[in-house]
Amino acid sequence: MTHRLIRRRVAGTAVTAALALALTSCFGSSKGGASDNPDADVTITFWHGWSAPSEVKAIQATIDAFEKANPNIHVKAVGNITDDKINQALRAGGPSAPDVVSSFTTDNVGEFCNSHAFVDLAPFLSKSGIDPEKTFPGPQLSYTQYNGNQCALPLLSDAYGLYYNKDAFKAAGISAPPKTMSELDADAVKLTKASGDGYSQIGFMPDYHFYESTITHFGAQWAPTYFDAEGKSTVATDPAINSAMAWQKSLLDQLGGYDKLDKFRTSAGEEFSNNNAFMTGQVAMMIDGEWRAGMIDDSNSKVDYGVAPFPVPDDQAAQYGKGYITGTIVGIASTSEKQNAAWEFVKYLTTDTDAVVNFANAIHNVPSTIAALASPRVSQDPNFQQFIKIASDPNSTTTPASPNGGDYQLVLQNLGYDYQSGKQTDLQSGLDDAAHQIDTNLAQVQ
Amino acid sequence: MTVTATPGSTSRSTARSARKARQRRLRRRERLTTLAFLSPWLLGTGLFFLYPLATTAYLSFTRYDGFLSPTWNGLDNWRFVFQDYPFFWPAMRNTLWFVVVLVTLRIIAGLALGMLVIHVKRGSTTLRTVFYAPFLAPPVAATLAFVFLLNPGTGPVNTILGHIGVTAPSWFNDPSWSKPALSLLALWGVGDLMVIFMAALLDVPRELYEASALDGAGAVNRFRHVTLPHLRPILLFAVITGVIATMQYYTEPIVAGQVASGQIAGSGNQFEPGYPGGSTLTLPQLVYNLGFQRFNIGAACVIAMVLFVLSMVFAAFLMRRGSGFLAGEDL
Amino acid sequence: MATVTVQPETPTAPSQTHDVYRRRRILEWVAVHSLAVGLALLFVLPFVFIALTALMSDQQSLTRDLWPQPFAWHNLVDVWHTPGFPTWWRNTLVYAVAGTALTLLSSLPVAYALAYFRFRGRNVAMMVVIATMMLPPQVSIIPLYLVWAQDFHLTGTLWPLIIPLAFGDAFTIFLLRQFMLTVPRAYLEAAKIDGCGDFRTMVRVVIPMIKPAIAAVGLFQFFYCWNDYFGPQIYASENPGAWTLSYGLQSFKSAHHTDWNLTMAATVLVMAPVIILFFFAQKAFIEGVTLTGVKG
Repeated sequence: MTHRLIRRRVAGTAVTAALALALTSCFGSSKGGASDNPDADVTITFWHGWSAPSEVKAIQATIDAFEKANPNIHVKAVGNITDDKINQALRAGGPSAPDVVSSFTTDNVGEFCNSHAFVDLAPFLSKSGIDPEKTFPGPQLSYTQYNGNQCALPLLSDAYGLYYNKDAFKAAGISAPPKTMSELDADAVKLTKASGDGYSQIGFMPDYHFYESTITHFGAQWAPTYFDAEGKSTVATDPAINSAMAWQKSLLDQLGGYDKLDKFRTSAGEEFSNNNAFMTGQVAMMIDGEWRAGMIDDSNSKVDYGVAPFPVPDDQAAQYGKGYITGTIVGIASTSEKQNAAWEFVKYLTTDTDAVVNFANAIHNVPSTIAALASPRVSQDPNFQQFIKIASDPNSTTTPASPNGGDYQLVLQNLGYDYQSGKQTDLQSGLDDAAHQIDTNLAQVQ
Repeated sequence: MTVTATPGSTSRSTARSARKARQRRLRRRERLTTLAFLSPWLLGTGLFFLYPLATTAYLSFTRYDGFLSPTWNGLDNWRFVFQDYPFFWPAMRNTLWFVVVLVTLRIIAGLALGMLVIHVKRGSTTLRTVFYAPFLAPPVAATLAFVFLLNPGTGPVNTILGHIGVTAPSWFNDPSWSKPALSLLALWGVGDLMVIFMAALLDVPRELYEASALDGAGAVNRFRHVTLPHLRPILLFAVITGVIATMQYYTEPIVAGQVASGQIAGSGNQFEPGYPGGSTLTLPQLVYNLGFQRFNIGAACVIAMVLFVLSMVFAAFLMRRGSGFLAGEDL
Repeated sequence: MATVTVQPETPTAPSQTHDVYRRRRILEWVAVHSLAVGLALLFVLPFVFIALTALMSDQQSLTRDLWPQPFAWHNLVDVWHTPGFPTWWRNTLVYAVAGTALTLLSSLPVAYALAYFRFRGRNVAMMVVIATMMLPPQVSIIPLYLVWAQDFHLTGTLWPLIIPLAFGDAFTIFLLRQFMLTVPRAYLEAAKIDGCGDFRTMVRVVIPMIKPAIAAVGLFQFFYCWNDYFGPQIYASENPGAWTLSYGLQSFKSAHHTDWNLTMAATVLVMAPVIILFFFAQKAFIEGVTLTGVKG
């Protein structure tokens, strides 16, 4: 009686094992191709991250202009896409996967290039006779490629600067925005008013958890290298990060210490809501991107704000005017079967000067081509022009791409959290560990 | 061997072989029926348990980012996770902390509340409803609510504590208080255990209590010698289900960490696992982070295997303890 | 305090003993009831605060105020009209209903076989059931995800969550089996004598007898699907049209420009149906939980 059952069970296990082996060899997503006819009538899917109504309207206007110029290509746009979803869709492939993808973060470019999830755009660029170095500014080119593989292009940029509350400045007797770090420290202290065991106004919020106050944004002012020529982390040896973190901690302590400031932070309004702490007047100076100006103008905030480049370290005072650059990136999924049509769209989005300028004006972002930056049709609003200058400054920097995404930034960020809260007291040893961790993580994915 | 032919023996042997054939047919039908009844589960186990387990084990020895094909890299991932990955051991400690603390606290609280509600004669239904309702709140909603309620600056809890004059901790924003805050959330939802314990407590025959009281036993002794023994199967059930649930503890810590840190998708910051300071990080969160956000499926599978081994160790331990009660009456 | 030693066997001063006894009982009553009321208040308070915050203006929700001024009832309407909210509702309902139905349909036969059939390897099967019960979903998620994504292209939908439930759920199987074991054998034997095959016996005899248990495990499965966050996060996140309430609610908070008052209003809308359902079906709920706890 039992033999047959045993035999059946063995057969069952064998089937499962065979299934397992068969399916294990089925990994790797489907491959697309650039063999489609760009003049044929086709619909491509475009994923982007914009979600606010005004931004969605702006991208749709750009799409409409493209469709008018290319009546055979229809673009189906899907918004509010985050990086998680992009990763998953690119891995899955299939008919619902996008053809053109844009992302707010530059972090994953290294991984997309290395794994060929995005196609190398160099052949497309040369086919269309576009020289990337003459078309795009340096930083924008560097954060859209990795290891010689130009797998993405910049789709509008962001530049970071200093927003300051003019009324608060007047009340504190400060005549001009600070240009160096010591001036920033002094002004921040002057503008901070305690109230009970909290604050009624804070001059500047260096807390790494607050809005855009991150080590990469601050660190840019010290001109860090992040990686050496061999791809090893330099955070332990490069004085830039060390000085940046030391400055942040000292300012934190001058303003009342981490505990008090973080408590304030947890009760502050949402970064992108009308209760943004700068927009309500609770924080007098803030580091933020060029989009903030448009948001303040569109809101009912009564803050009379000014814009200036973010201060520079005292010993680099001559480089005042530079800032941190990043931007939205756009690429073509390698699983797409309509890559030629997709390229027409990407080319339009990223290089057509009118398209770039109109889009930039509409969503208050910085244009990402040399031609567009110089165009007279760019909004001449003085605050916006300030950011144009920051973006065009030759000393402005960005964070380099890396094959495991923003991992090195995460390691630095965690060190920052530990250092600011007092969990880590020895900055140099923390940086040594961070450099070691970054290198180990990188080695693990090579 | 010689068969002595006796009159009538051929008909008997035919009858015997006919009976044997019938028995064989019956047994085959039985087996087919068994297989038919079990087939959904057999298929399911193969497809959704054995296959993924084998593949996860295989992938843990490979470098795989989800795009290019997996490449074998031996014990590299294992070495990385156990030695070089700074989040692994904190996550392991946290997961075990939660398993031990949450299960114990919830059982004690459920039992205590159950005994309390039983003692209240009038209004016990209302009480039972009040204590049970929070258990039904969807976890994400309940977590969001608690993060708001325990907001250090403006949350109602700290506001009230401030009025009394107590310096309140920063709850979900303080690494030493985030796990206790999550425990409070878990205790708020203890209603299901309370109800089960109530039923079990009411099941204890009154005569046993009366007899024990006549013997001079005080309340504590009555509890130890009458109540507890009766509750053993229920307690075991509560421990088993509690450990199962807490090994998988994912939704509440990850939502609490994300919301309390104020992170927004697409802003300047990286996703910070286990905010604040890695104190709410659990092993399941690492699997998601490594596998779906960091392109490191190999390492994610290592952690998945660790989870598997831990679960099976607990399962074996609890099965041995409760072997009698789990097997049920054997037919 | 008077030094009166009370001996149970020889009550010397009956009135004094009675008084002390009565006083103790009153004190006990007061203590128990105040504890109960106090704890009940603590348990209800979160609901109260959530509701109050849901009705505040977004600026007031950031202050230490505890009472909304004025009452912003429109918050609830605003949340309901958030793009996607009704869709999340519908998706969650579909997932929970389909999931529960499939689970019950596929788990009943398996539980029946494990309860009543004698076969070699039955103990192994039970151990496998228990083992799979204890398995965290994160252990198997990666290969499953890869298959659903790369081979079937079903990510962005809830199918990867619903389909596996058509193959039985270990917890359901386990509990149903325990209940089936309590059905007196006499009924089964009577059915067999009447000529019922196993399937008929299961449908006509056993299932009607364990209806409360089926309701209970059905409720469990329904809630598991309704509250599931990990599953929809993995499979449905790339397509907002497939989001469920739990994933939608979480993203609600991390989306741009969302303040606490609206988040709490959304929380109210997500919690309310469940709590209301509970008030109407209280008996069924609690009986179900009790049954599974006591018998399981």
